[in-house]
Amino acid sequence: MAPGEANSGNGGQILKPFTFNEIVLRNRLTALVVDGDNFCRLLEQGILQAYGLETQSVDNGDAAVELIASGAKFDLILIDMLLPILDGLEATRRIRAMGVRCKMLGVTAFSGERERQAFLAAGVDVFVEKPLGPEILIPILRELDEQYPSI
Amino acid sequence: MDRNRLQHQVACMRRSLFDQGYLDEPFIQLEELQDDANPNFVQEIVTLFYTNSARLIQNIEHALNSRPIDFNKLDDHMHQFKGSSSSIGAKKVTNECTVFRDYCSAENAEGCSRSFQQVKQEYAILRRKLEVYLQMVRQAAVSQTA
Repeated sequence: MAPGEANSGNGGQILKPFTFNEIVLRNRLTALVVDGDNFCRLLEQGILQAYGLETQSVDNGDAAVELIASGAKFDLILIDMLLPILDGLEATRRIRAMGVRCKMLGVTAFSGERERQAFLAAGVDVFVEKPLGPEILIPILRELDEQYPSI
Repeated sequence: MDRNRLQHQVACMRRSLFDQGYLDEPFIQLEELQDDANPNFVQEIVTLFYTNSARLIQNIEHALNSRPIDFNKLDDHMHQFKGSSSSIGAKKVTNECTVFRDYCSAENAEGCSRSFQQVKQEYAILRRKLEVYLQMVRQAAVSQTA
């Protein structure tokens, strides 16, 4: 069996093979991961780094706001809704209020429509129910990469 | 056990973990993160998942045993556990977490307790199967380099 191939429990449906080589970024994109869960934070950073991004992470909303306020710039911010100290909704509002226009993904274990609307209203561009998969991330990374002029 | 038979066993076990619904697509993404630069990535991330899960399970148990039960806090802990379980592709565990959260939002303490037993059971089963699988993967890797 080749890596990335498997039969799922869905009546033997073959899962789409996946490789991080599906996308090769021309630019060194930067990302901030904001997640209060140690495991999820490390995993999301690992995934972004595998795509070639430079990453930083914080474990609460207040630290994210402070980092942005200090002048740190990112192409992409992944932010969870449930965060200690300052929750993801308020952190997102404050980051947007600072004039930050980078792509923000609300990556959360919440799956309800109410939560989706709330996170989008707070300012995230995309609401993603965990886990964050390549089908969501790859188009976004391509879009961000193409924003930079070709050399 | 010869190398080919070991590799075949590893492939069969891997297929059954997906076919029987214990693992889902996110686990494949983890496997893809493993390369020559990070040869033990899957084992490391799975070990981190066990440590993280033990802490969250303890938090949930503590919250369930508190009187009165703080259902908001209980939901927050299970929400985190659901997030990390889904991120590793632990499909059955994630499904049980969803059932729990339904009871939690209804503030049904008995339902939460019952469903938490199911969460713990699925987690224990997955952990056992993953430990066996990853041990076989390590054995197969050793036999390949021998």
